[in-house]
Amino acid sequence: MIALGAIVAAGLVTALSVRDAVALDLVFTLLLYAVLGQSWNWISGYAGNISFGHAIFFGCGAYASALMVTHGLSPWLAIPAGAVAAAALAIVTGFPTLALRGHYFSIATIAVAAIVDALVRTQPWLGRATGFELPIASGWAALQFADKGPYIVLALVLFTAVQIATIALERSRLGYYLRALRANHAAAAAVGIDERSWKLLAFAWSAVIASCAGVLYAQYTLFVDPPSTIALGVSIDIALIGVVGGIGTLWGPAVGALVYVVLAKGVALELGGTGKGYDLVIYGAIICVIAALRPHGIVGAIVDGLRRRRGALELGAASATGGAA
Amino acid sequence: MEALTTFAQLLVGGVLTGLVFALVAVGLTLVYGVMDVVNFAHGEFLMLAMYATLGLALLGLGPLLGLPLAVIAMFLFGIIVYRVFVRRLLAGPPEATVFGTFGLLVLMQGLAQAVFSSDFLSVPSPPFAGTIRFAGLPVSQASVVEGCGALILTALLFAFVEYTETGRAMRAVAEDRIAATLMGIDVQRINGLAFGIGAACVGAAGGLLMLSYPVYPTAGVPFALTAFVVVALGGFGSISGALVAALLVGMLEVFGGFYLSPELKLVPVYLAYLVVVLVRPQGLLGRR
Repeated sequence: MIALGAIVAAGLVTALSVRDAVALDLVFTLLLYAVLGQSWNWISGYAGNISFGHAIFFGCGAYASALMVTHGLSPWLAIPAGAVAAAALAIVTGFPTLALRGHYFSIATIAVAAIVDALVRTQPWLGRATGFELPIASGWAALQFADKGPYIVLALVLFTAVQIATIALERSRLGYYLRALRANHAAAAAVGIDERSWKLLAFAWSAVIASCAGVLYAQYTLFVDPPSTIALGVSIDIALIGVVGGIGTLWGPAVGALVYVVLAKGVALELGGTGKGYDLVIYGAIICVIAALRPHGIVGAIVDGLRRRRGALELGAASATGGAA
Repeated sequence: MEALTTFAQLLVGGVLTGLVFALVAVGLTLVYGVMDVVNFAHGEFLMLAMYATLGLALLGLGPLLGLPLAVIAMFLFGIIVYRVFVRRLLAGPPEATVFGTFGLLVLMQGLAQAVFSSDFLSVPSPPFAGTIRFAGLPVSQASVVEGCGALILTALLFAFVEYTETGRAMRAVAEDRIAATLMGIDVQRINGLAFGIGAACVGAAGGLLMLSYPVYPTAGVPFALTAFVVVALGGFGSISGALVAALLVGMLEVFGGFYLSPELKLVPVYLAYLVVVLVRPQGLLGRR
């Protein structure tokens, strides 16, 4: 909670004082990816079903926004519309697949996402492969702004809401059930936890979160097409952010997004822009090192370290009292 | 008559495409069978082999002459990747192998983009450029060479795993790792060998594919995605299953591309994956 407050304060100061467009763009990307990583973390971290197709839910929001605006409706309507579409898509695709385990589920998510991607590219009302350019407007009613400040405020609001929701998840029945199912699904089922319905609930919420990020993204870039929203590459980015920070931890996605933005995007900019693959090299190397040496991610490693230290202290205290007795 | 000719032509095309899919997929399924790892970077190994073949071709060793070299190089590459990297992933939690090989995918794509740029590169004036007539149907020579070459190599791998001492040791490790260790089999050596052979399979596939395909940093992705489907369809770990499934998937893709639309050609393939894992998770020829 203290950390969350500090981040909100820092974010507000940034939104109000910084005028450098590149820096603000990085801050916005950071917050957006932190939200997407957390959304992924709900189903893949807490519930343990590793998804490589999460971008389709992000796409629900982005396309809802594009459709609303191009049909002359308020982009605010895209928030509920995208959320409903994303939750429905999550339930329809999750109902058969969530019972699959390990790589069976992961490959199924790739298959589902590839089907959605292919279908979108053939549908004229979804803009086929070219996508949508959103008409330029300004103001809160149109959810578009000339400067980046209000976007950062909106991203902060979304990030804060999602972090609070995740704290609530960790303390809720749903959160305990998901972690029980991840740890041992047979034992969890034996005590009466219905795997499919609880995971569907988590999957639907996770999709709703990703969809909200999608609406914000569309209103920010004013351009929506398959490669930037629903393609496999976006799904991979989302999953890797979740992994780097540490799956199934509250702050993992935010740390992962920070590493992603600072190292991958920041260094790529220094070395001469994206499109040369340097960001992928750095990012891929980080994932490889983490998977091989610290498979619980950055936050996971810190938590492990703290626990070990606390354990050592308690052990030391116990032996000290034991010695006194 | 017209429709029938088209159908026959698609059938031949489907079989030839399927045979190449088989060679890519058997490498994946062998690694899965022996050590329970789905190598998500399998397509990137293929991409690397394609660049290697291109490099050899530019040095004067045309695609087929360079093929044995590409196979040996990829075999060694696979063993090194296992020794340095995958071995450590196996020591971690089960999801570490998923993330780790995914990280390798990202790293290799990035390196390819940084070194070779995103351009599509092809072997200059490849051999087998013409078409031949097969039962009255025009078929591209390159795809016949690719299909037949892939069939021969897949058969060789099958024979190796079935009939050699090392192949038996691999099957023993696949069956029960601990029992195999107790029988005096060096599991680390077998794992490394399986990973090397898996990479050698895409080494050969890359050499064949460069006859008719261009290479670019994400060239392996469509093949790898198809290979996941083939491996699931055939039963994870089953080589003969992979061959049968690859032929089916080759047909689905070719027929889907023709009768639906080129953009939707992979949709029936992915639907087939979903149906199989939900209805018959052990695959067509896999055991439970």
